[in-house]
Amino acid sequence: MSSTGPARGESPAIDISGVTKKYGKVTALDGLDLEVARGEVHGFLGPNGAGKSTTMRILLGILRHDSGTVRMLGGDPWSDAVALHRRLAYVPGDVELWPNLTGGEAIDLFARLRGGVDAAKRDELIERFDLDPRKKGRTYSKGNRQKVALISALASDVDLLLLDEPTAGLDPLMEVVFQECVREAKDAGVTVLLSSHILAQVEILADRISIIRKGTVVESGTLQDLRHLSRTTVTALTDKPLTELARRQGVHDLHAEGQQTRFEVDSEHLPAIMRDLAAHDVQALTATPPTLEQLLLRHYGDELRGDELGGDGPGGASTNGAGGNGSGKRRAGRARSTRNGAAS
Amino acid sequence: MTAVTERPGAAPPAATARQRGTLTGTGTLLRFMLRRDRVRLPAWVLGLTALWAYFANALGTIMDAESLSAMATMAANPVMALIGGPGYGFDDITVARLVAGFYALYLMLGAAFMSITTLSRHTRVEEQTGRAELVRANVLGRHAQLTAALIMAVVMNLLVAALIGVVTLGAAIDPPPEAGSSLLMGAGIGATGLAFAGIAAITTQLSAFSRAGSGIAGAVLGAAFVVRGIGDMSTAQDGGLGWLSWLSPLGWAQQTAPFTLDRWWPLLLSVALAVAGAGVGYALQARRDLAAGVLPDRLGAARAARWLRSPLALAYRLQRPSIIGWSVAMVLAGVTFGAFAEPMQEGAADMPEEIVAVMGGADGLLEGYLGFMGIYFALVVAAYVILSVQSLRGEEQGVRTEPVLATAVSRSSWLGSWTAVTAAGALWLLLLAGLGQGVGTLIGTGSGELFGPVVLGHAVHVAAAWLFLGLAVALYGLAPRLVGLVWIVFVYGTVLSLFGEMLEFDQAMLDTSPFQHIGQHPAETISWGAVGILTAVGALLVGAGAAGFRRRDLITA
Repeated sequence: MSSTGPARGESPAIDISGVTKKYGKVTALDGLDLEVARGEVHGFLGPNGAGKSTTMRILLGILRHDSGTVRMLGGDPWSDAVALHRRLAYVPGDVELWPNLTGGEAIDLFARLRGGVDAAKRDELIERFDLDPRKKGRTYSKGNRQKVALISALASDVDLLLLDEPTAGLDPLMEVVFQECVREAKDAGVTVLLSSHILAQVEILADRISIIRKGTVVESGTLQDLRHLSRTTVTALTDKPLTELARRQGVHDLHAEGQQTRFEVDSEHLPAIMRDLAAHDVQALTATPPTLEQLLLRHYGDELRGDELGGDGPGGASTNGAGGNGSGKRRAGRARSTRNGAAS
Repeated sequence: MTAVTERPGAAPPAATARQRGTLTGTGTLLRFMLRRDRVRLPAWVLGLTALWAYFANALGTIMDAESLSAMATMAANPVMALIGGPGYGFDDITVARLVAGFYALYLMLGAAFMSITTLSRHTRVEEQTGRAELVRANVLGRHAQLTAALIMAVVMNLLVAALIGVVTLGAAIDPPPEAGSSLLMGAGIGATGLAFAGIAAITTQLSAFSRAGSGIAGAVLGAAFVVRGIGDMSTAQDGGLGWLSWLSPLGWAQQTAPFTLDRWWPLLLSVALAVAGAGVGYALQARRDLAAGVLPDRLGAARAARWLRSPLALAYRLQRPSIIGWSVAMVLAGVTFGAFAEPMQEGAADMPEEIVAVMGGADGLLEGYLGFMGIYFALVVAAYVILSVQSLRGEEQGVRTEPVLATAVSRSSWLGSWTAVTAAGALWLLLLAGLGQGVGTLIGTGSGELFGPVVLGHAVHVAAAWLFLGLAVALYGLAPRLVGLVWIVFVYGTVLSLFGEMLEFDQAMLDTSPFQHIGQHPAETISWGAVGILTAVGALLVGAGAAGFRRRDLITA
């Protein structure tokens, strides 16, 4: 789509190609390519330690890349940092505030340093996110610090939002508010790069998704393009095992043990399979969307387990996207572990 | 109840059981703390011991009888009493008496800092970070953490006391030190550390934030230093304020007068303060919630002030609390030291000629004293400047610089703003110190003649502080991990400025101190050339730091 118009407004909001970043001997980004079109919400999906935050920080001109090219809003993130930062707002996954400044002061300050704050929008967002802006930074919980950064970013009049796991620490209610706000921003024409390690979160908001693994983007496209990635795991308890389902279209990896049957089903075939199940006297049923680990294991080989995810057994017990993470950088979002159970 | 009946042996009454309950787990916690501090503890203890070994042996080696008596004359003057001690036995000086009467004070300060940071680290910092909550959720009494931290401080101070005693005993000095006096030497330093552990046990309860608690304890330490300094100055001149020395924990340890009077009983005061402090600490802790302070945390403004809209404003806003604290200290210290100028001049008639000569002669005694104080305050302000650049590094490490640079603020403008506020702060603080001295002198002497020159004499020393600012900023930009190295230059400059002449370094060496060249106005004329050169070098270094900062990655770990 970027090839159609070389006009200035039509160049991608973000265009990264072949970018490498090393920290000493550790390679954080290894020939990363990423393109984000203007006005789209782009999901940037990957396990912890895959290089999402490094990419964000290179886009912010806070880190320097070693090789490759990076363009953002038609400028160079390192040398044009100040001019570009007037047009973007950034929310990290781990917001640190000044201990003796209040949340309200921090919101105003960040927005003013960007170029200005929309006071009405600010007050409305404070209301919606249910934040007490009079508290000192040191007294806020993690979720509340996150709200401060989100409110300040969303109350600024910008072209681009860089959101790096922005809802880590928010409760599910606030996550819904966040989703509304991102939709409103999109309607207003803002480009959003939203990183996450949880597929389901990105699915809700993103027009397009890029999956990053070990510093490289392994898949990029619309949700439709990535449909093959979203298989639901179904476990059913019935009187008789459901072995005949194995022959149905869209069903994979069926295992039957006694009364319990477990299989995976492509999302598009899920309604039909559910209708089938209804005829089988089901006593208990769980349906779980795939975790990122499962996706990566399934589609990109399983050698990453241990060095990148460090999680539990293959595709199994872990119910959220959080893997133990060598860099110790961010804690996984706790709000999300509930999502899987509610997903069907 | 069941716990009581199950306990073997004589069943203790319920009250005792409850008391023991608040201390449950202290032993386990203490072992855990020792494990965490397996580097920190030996570093403190051995560091203080090594510093002491250096003082004792270096002086023992370089001092012959002649230089020793010259030193004694010098050390008996009031300014030296201020920065050294009451000078027991200096009329019949030995190396041991000199070391005990002059250098021990700095070891006491070190031991006090050791205790304050140990208490803060193992109590309030744990609560502030939320780790204490995890720990407290286990089988652990309410007072276990404070108790374990206190025991740890006691252990550290006992080690310091014993090692310093042994090192003193083994020092290559003539006549060889006596065992009792050597041990008393160490005990005095350790007891001061203990006293400040008691003070820190109280101050860590006051605020929910470790910095505030340590800050209050540090302020008490500063006050203890000044109070005994004034007392000792007065004693050196047979003034009437000698009793002030007895109001300070540092004074108590100095009043033991090792190698002269060898009295142990003043240390009872130190131990009593430690015990009382711990008692108050327990009482306060029993009355507050975990992670809460005794002082309430108030709500602040919902909106930022209008002026808070630029990197310069932010840098000022972030440095403001520290500048206010330093300002208060400068004014208080300035006025008290200034007020002392008059009694010192009064006593000049009775002073030996040598001392009067050192201070600039009978005519210039007052000017000499006030000029020297300019250097003294310049050292203090240089420390402020270094701490400020270190807290800029703290901003970066605490991931608070990143969101600022993610807005339309360039790196040069952020570093420049922070540096500008600190540079202006340094000038402001020296002006305040000078004004304080001027006012104090005015009150004492009733003459405003020296007011202007004193303020000017203090203010021009800002150039030396700016040089340190430049050094620190250059390191911050080019090699941020090495910022702490500025302290080495600082200690070097301090030793040369305060002790250089006493230690009889040659002039070429003295000239390497940045504090040497400006001139101790009003006793000496100001070298504006030196002021200009120091300022220019400082500015160049800031430029180098900015260039480095523009090129490097932010470091957040």
